[in-house]
Amino acid sequence: MTYTAEAFQNEYLALGATEVNAIVTVTSSGSATGVRTGGATEVIIVDASGSMQAEGRIAAARQAAKAAVACIDDGVHFALIAGVGTAQQLYPAPGELAVATAQTRAEATWAIDRLHASGGTAMGAWLLLAAQLFAQRPGDIAHAIMLTDGDNGERQGYLESVLDSIAGRFTVDSRGVGTNWKVSELRKIADAMLGTVDIVASPADLTAAFEQMMTAAMGKTTADVQLKVWTPVNATVRFVKQVEPQVADLTGKRVADGARAGRYPLGAWGAESRDYHVCIDVPPGASGDEMLAARVSIVEGDTVHAQSLVRAVWTDDAALSTRINRQVAHYTGQAELAEAIQAGIEARKAGDDHTATMKFGRAAKLAHESGNKATSELLATVVDIEDAATGTVRLRRKVAAADEMALDTRSTKTVRVGRGQ
Amino acid sequence: MTTTDCAACADERAAGAAFCESCGRSLNPSADAGPACPHCGTPGSIGEDGYCENCGMLAGRERDHLETDCGEVAAAVTDRGLRHHRNEDAMWLATRGPDVDVIISDGVSSSFDPDVASLTAVTAAGALLGEGGDLAAAIGSAQVAVAKLAAEGDPRRQASNPACTIVSATVRGDAVTVGWIGDSRAYWVPEEGVAEQLTEDDSWATHVIALGADPETAMRDPKAHAITAWLGADAGTVTPRTAEFVVGDPGHLVLCSDGLWNYLTDPGAFAAAVREGLREQGTLISAARWLADYANTAGGADNITVALVPITPLGGAQE
Repeated sequence: MTYTAEAFQNEYLALGATEVNAIVTVTSSGSATGVRTGGATEVIIVDASGSMQAEGRIAAARQAAKAAVACIDDGVHFALIAGVGTAQQLYPAPGELAVATAQTRAEATWAIDRLHASGGTAMGAWLLLAAQLFAQRPGDIAHAIMLTDGDNGERQGYLESVLDSIAGRFTVDSRGVGTNWKVSELRKIADAMLGTVDIVASPADLTAAFEQMMTAAMGKTTADVQLKVWTPVNATVRFVKQVEPQVADLTGKRVADGARAGRYPLGAWGAESRDYHVCIDVPPGASGDEMLAARVSIVEGDTVHAQSLVRAVWTDDAALSTRINRQVAHYTGQAELAEAIQAGIEARKAGDDHTATMKFGRAAKLAHESGNKATSELLATVVDIEDAATGTVRLRRKVAAADEMALDTRSTKTVRVGRGQ
Repeated sequence: MTTTDCAACADERAAGAAFCESCGRSLNPSADAGPACPHCGTPGSIGEDGYCENCGMLAGRERDHLETDCGEVAAAVTDRGLRHHRNEDAMWLATRGPDVDVIISDGVSSSFDPDVASLTAVTAAGALLGEGGDLAAAIGSAQVAVAKLAAEGDPRRQASNPACTIVSATVRGDAVTVGWIGDSRAYWVPEEGVAEQLTEDDSWATHVIALGADPETAMRDPKAHAITAWLGADAGTVTPRTAEFVVGDPGHLVLCSDGLWNYLTDPGAFAAAVREGLREQGTLISAARWLADYANTAGGADNITVALVPITPLGGAQE
């Protein structure tokens, strides 16, 4: 794999300024042959709680799981978990992983037919079993798909403690079917496990969603890529966020690498490009001083794939220090957009219509200005946008639960600078 | 270099590196570890990219301060000054016997890569003078070379093309030719009396003063230094202005960028400063250094470049 890392910033700071912002675009070419150099393990977790009987969800989930199994490449290790009040391995034998072949894929498909909806929801237990299975294949690209349709039934705090113990060991893409599950619960899993969360409102769309997730997972060719950030003495990292394709705060995932550097997990990579916003607090410099505020590297173990420099140059020339960097401004806006939407939804649920209108108005303005059409359209299902340019919106009296959940889960989706404008 | 683990913090992964990844200290404490960081004093901490591995400060650039010493024939100094983060001035000084070619260029800060523009200008013009070309042709070749920069290298150059000024002089015996575009100046400083400005700035201030504005008010205007002619892709067709004269009495030809003359706008004060530098220091190069220091003491708001060329009338008695 070859990687490039390019920093976009206005390096000029006004005298006394101590905040340095940069957007680092990381692009990888994928492996030379387009195939994985190491192993990969997939675990599919399907909620089989009693509520899955409704609206033909369990039948649709069976169909979707079969479609996902069909997408698994030969040679990839895999397992299926039936999610009930405990975690039950559906395929292969308990505690084992199968190696994908035409034969094992067919066996898995027959096993899926045995999936029946009766039981509870225990996401912590499901993920714990997945972690045990992944532990057999250290170094693999480890990815799980988790489908649920309801609230977690485990005791308060259990899921969080499980996530603490397994965070970073594998990636989890979560999907909620219907509208009786909690966005906040699945987002917690996505944040901890570097995955995605989305709503599949109609069971009929599950197959497409599973195929898309599995195909994307099969496109990953490198398991564990990290962003290493070196900062000089007396400088601190305020935050490191992934800002494209979606907002994900990585600040809390820092693992110290010596006294001056930290590593942030980026998960598995294929041929793709992602943007990161790095914000550093530095001691103020004198006019004319130039400081290396951060050295940002893409690393895999001890190998440094690419490096980019984030600089700070102090000047009393206001024409230079007030220049707005397009990338930084754009992604600062995209992060604010996600926050505004989530705050708006919270306020609306709490019955605070005034705050909700304000937050959704701000979101409509930001989405409009940045050309984030997908988010604008989702917003329009929850509020009537009277004037996007000024952020004038009116709350809709009746909002479909699925629409609001779609807006919530997809609020973190961002667009690149200049796209869609 | 034999590699050792860091003595300060016992970080084992430091093997093979010049600096400890963990604590930032140099792993090679011997004298050849390189110079200490001028900002935090950590010995041998300057990394390959020029930044201190401890405090992150840029240790310095080659062009921050340069000197050219041609003994008694000529001398020139260029300095970053105190307020700009890099030196965007460039200079060229060539001598052959008593003959001198000298060029100073000042990059336009609001353009992209102005430091590249100024260096390109003096190099192109200097090369042509070295081949025996005349001054107008030399400035012409600098114009062409600087204009080409917009289409090369960083794409941001197209939006804000590299631009600079130029002032150049050739001294052949006691015959002096000066040529310029922009507001970098040439002066004649006689042994007594006020300095004579040989160039006329292509600047807003000069323009309005010529139209009758009060010189002091005009120079205080924020637009005073806005130049009306320059070298660069967007400069249009600019014909360099030239002047020729033969020295009648001994004195010094002084070329400088506005980083110096802006602190000495009065011709009497300019001449006095040059004479004080020469009197106090004894050598040309130290006098040039003294003038750069003078501008830095006064504030160092811009890059400073100054060149000194003593000229005596041919056949003059005082050798």
